[in-house]
Amino acid sequence: MKKTVDVSIPLGPMHPVWKEPCRLKCETIGERVVKAEMELGYMKKGIERIMKGRPWQEVMFLAERVCGICSVIHNMVFIEAMEKMSDIEVPDRAAYLRVVANELDRIASHLIANFSYCYTIEHETLGMYLLNTRETVMDLLEKLTGARVTCSYMVPGGVRFDLLDEDKTDMVIALDKVESEIRRYMQMFDEGPLIALRSVGVGTLTSEQALEGHAVGPTARASGIEYDVRSNHPTYQKLNFHPIVRTGGDNHARIMIRFDEVLQSVSLIKAAITTLPQGLIRGGGVMKKGSIVYAGEAPRGELTYHIKADSFGRIQEIYIQTPSIMNIEACVHYMIPESYSIADVSATYISADPCIACTER
Amino acid sequence: MTLLQSVKNLVRSRSIHVCYVDTGSCNGCDIEVLACLAPRYDLEQYGIYVHNNPREADVLLVIGGVTPQWEDKLKMIWDKMPEPKAAVAIGNCAISGCVFNRPQSLTNPPVRKHIPVAAEVPGCPPRPTEIISAILSVRDLIFKDWETKR
Repeated sequence: MKKTVDVSIPLGPMHPVWKEPCRLKCETIGERVVKAEMELGYMKKGIERIMKGRPWQEVMFLAERVCGICSVIHNMVFIEAMEKMSDIEVPDRAAYLRVVANELDRIASHLIANFSYCYTIEHETLGMYLLNTRETVMDLLEKLTGARVTCSYMVPGGVRFDLLDEDKTDMVIALDKVESEIRRYMQMFDEGPLIALRSVGVGTLTSEQALEGHAVGPTARASGIEYDVRSNHPTYQKLNFHPIVRTGGDNHARIMIRFDEVLQSVSLIKAAITTLPQGLIRGGGVMKKGSIVYAGEAPRGELTYHIKADSFGRIQEIYIQTPSIMNIEACVHYMIPESYSIADVSATYISADPCIACTER
Repeated sequence: MTLLQSVKNLVRSRSIHVCYVDTGSCNGCDIEVLACLAPRYDLEQYGIYVHNNPREADVLLVIGGVTPQWEDKLKMIWDKMPEPKAAVAIGNCAISGCVFNRPQSLTNPPVRKHIPVAAEVPGCPPRPTEIISAILSVRDLIFKDWETKR
């Protein structure tokens, strides 16, 4: 019988560069990976089962703990879904402050994703630069919301804390610093010859494959698919949001598009701060019964909440569709067999920015 | 105290290899451990190195309430670590289960039920400075004069 596969190499569940546990089985011919398979289930906590039957006041905090990296967007999507279901109006000032918190969280998430990639390809200098810049962003998030991670900033009808005028100028100065630093790191990443050897042309995902693998978020936008849920959000439309697209589809394009989106987020925050309307930050309303499907753009892609609640505001049914599972499918089926060797598998996997905690919930 | 013991104390105080294991957290504590690597906190100025290899680790940072998949594997990782060793439970999930310790949950907290824990850092998530101070306090408690304490 003809031998088709030489060795089946398992990576994980504990791997030096992966933040979270999962198992990746690679079937190889020589050094080339022909097929890969993902084994999940190390982080299954059953959040949706805990949420059922609980009032929204408790589910609000549980929704944040679906994913710690992008906790603000989980909070935002859940609260906006409940508001839309109950016809609760949000004051303009609160809507703008939500955008500020969400974009700060997006910058922190993208920077840690790019740090992981630089750490994986052993470019620790750039990785440490990125982590240092991330601390500046986390300070801004802490100044606005009172916590670094899982800040519960948004509540139905508005936000918890107001942005003071003296903090506004501090925020703009810090964001200017972040912007100039990110431009320097982009140049380092774009023109570094050793980074190009490890990144350009590795793990290519064409736009047809991205559609077939249902890739979302920066992974899809790096393959030329212009799709971003933020363009349907009313506050983002006021701020003239347009999605960024790259056509490379390889590891390099996926990291560069995250840098691009960081710069875009910086300009969105600046626009939101300068045009911040005056007024209340918190309104009110009564929760009504009903069911809703509501989507928002997480740092990793489209995030959808399917919620059904009764008239007391208790959650009857809830289903959360997170972006990482689609990106992991596209990564395992299309990107990893396109990478040149087993050494590129970790880097390709990290470049899709998988978040196992929100994949398994 | 013998000369050998004082040399060992000196070496151990400046060289702690850390391995972290995520047993079902929300990722919040994970990224706070990663943030310890940042130049602002600079883990390596205290002689702490993150290796993520249990066979050369001195301190195991356990994050998260223990999911069914990890119940046996956490014990295996703990057994693979060479003596002297210590485990630090990070975050409320590892201490009590936090929001996941409810009916219908799949987690099985606390971590101290599964492996012996030397220190616990409360917080959801704790700040990076608290994580670093916990590792440093464990260093003085466990590794100093370890041979004489047995």
